[in-house]
Amino acid sequence: MSAISLGGGVFWVHECFPETDGHIHVSVYLVEAPEGAILMDSGSFHHRQRLSDRIADATAGRGVGAIILSHSDYPHSGNIPAFRGDWGDFEIIASCGDPDLQGLPYARRTKIGEVVDVLGRRFAVLDPPLADRNHTTWVYDEASRTLFVADGFGTLHASGACDIDWGRIPEDGRAEGVHEFHAQTLPWLRYADPNRVMDALYAMLERHHPAWIAPIHGPPIAEADVGRYMADLSDALARIAEPHRR
Amino acid sequence: MSEPASETMSVATGRPWRRNVWPGIHWIQECGGHRAGIARAVLESGADWYAPGNELHIPQNAYLLTGARTLLWDTLSPASGHILLPALEDLLGERPLDYLALSHPDVPHAGNTMQVLRRYPDCRLVAPATGETHALYHLDDAMKVGPEDEIDLGGLRVRFPEATFLDAAIHTWMSEETTRTLFTVDWMGFPHQSGECLRRTDEIDTAVDVGRLEEFHSRVMFWFQYVHPHKVTAATDTLAVRFAGYGFAPAHGLPIPGEDAAPYYERLNEVVRRVAASGRGGVL
Ligand SMILES: [Fe+2]
Ligand SMILES: [Fe+2]
Ligand SMILES: [Zn+2]
Ligand SMILES: [Zn+2]
Ligand SMILES: [Zn+2]
Ligand SMILES: [Zn+2]
Repeated sequence: MSAISLGGGVFWVHECFPETDGHIHVSVYLVEAPEGAILMDSGSFHHRQRLSDRIADATAGRGVGAIILSHSDYPHSGNIPAFRGDWGDFEIIASCGDPDLQGLPYARRTKIGEVVDVLGRRFAVLDPPLADRNHTTWVYDEASRTLFVADGFGTLHASGACDIDWGRIPEDGRAEGVHEFHAQTLPWLRYADPNRVMDALYAMLERHHPAWIAPIHGPPIAEADVGRYMADLSDALARIAEPHRR
Repeated sequence: MSEPASETMSVATGRPWRRNVWPGIHWIQECGGHRAGIARAVLESGADWYAPGNELHIPQNAYLLTGARTLLWDTLSPASGHILLPALEDLLGERPLDYLALSHPDVPHAGNTMQVLRRYPDCRLVAPATGETHALYHLDDAMKVGPEDEIDLGGLRVRFPEATFLDAAIHTWMSEETTRTLFTVDWMGFPHQSGECLRRTDEIDTAVDVGRLEEFHSRVMFWFQYVHPHKVTAATDTLAVRFAGYGFAPAHGLPIPGEDAAPYYERLNEVVRRVAASGRGGVL
């Protein structure tokens, strides 16, 4: 029930939703900052009560001090009004060009390329090569070296494998989970040149070396597993781009 | 074709922000505020369709189709319930709203769904059949439509062709077969300036050229920077054949009449080649 520690003050609050071919994570992460707890995304309304209870539990009742939002898509942003009701009008940090249009009139706007200070912790704001909406950002937490990502880097998982990190998912079917997730979530990948996407991702990982990749839609990927994940992702992108070749 | 500056204030003064665009198709527009950053980029590019001092708008469009039955396509952003609902009430009068069809559950398109359904409780919610996570968007009970489906509105007939260029799995385009109109959602958008709000492309004096289309697509379709351009242009060429003669009713541009539509396909192909070569234009 409780949040899973990734170290460095970062916790995975995992939730998932059953699809036909497996479960999809719709998680959030908590980051302990000097001036309060930062929530990465707000999760889906579907899990609202459970998330609210688990966050209260993990923060000893203090709740959320700020949310950094990957993008305004409802399963990521849907609990913001409720959580602000629970814990006060805390700050929302988002990257959209026009927060009003995204239903976030109160958001503090970030820009790709900058480093933002949120509750005393520093995050680099990055341009995501694997996203659905143009206003998506990924952030890299310098203190813990965690890279928070949505919607890319997901993996569909089997029921029962809901709370284990990517490296501990049984290898049988794991690569397929990476493929299925990206095929269904990022429809534009059918037009992509996989090399261009992979090059952009490798460049980012080199610059912001992650101890953990922390996806909203998949289990966290430990540093030791990043190489294997990237190999599976590269295969997945090639299959999506050339469905008839394989 | 100039418009008095005071007309941009008309939303606040309650003037309905809508018009009839083709027989049975009414257009409700949310222009949002001036996009200063994009206006600067446009001026730097030396484009001649935009005059300094004007406001630059990237709109949200909703369309109300009125046959014997009525259908609303998209709902504008959450910032514009005060535009959408009065416009609907005006247009419908005593008539019911029979269908609310969502192109995709993206905030600037679906932002007033609940308000519309509350105002018209007998309205049938229609959603794209594609995708697996309808329940995460309150769409599990919606009527699901795909390329096989047609809704006969009595005098108008709508179909739901696959969204060729899309940003999320739950997504559809729509066509109206009697007027031959293709509703392309996030594709075929472009900015306009003050004086051009609620005008069709055949009613403005400025050109909708490659650069103008690029200002929109290089931001919204940021992923053009990662594609094999020939894959995208092949898909566009297929659309050009399949929908030859259809006009466009985009969600973020001005409507384009069918007789003017043909060259737009090649303009979009050039946009893709440019973005694939030089990267995204920024964030919208
Ligand atoms: Fe998304
Ligand atoms: Fe969209
Ligand atoms: Zn998502
Ligand atoms: Zn699960
Ligand atoms: Zn849109
Ligand atoms: Zn306008």
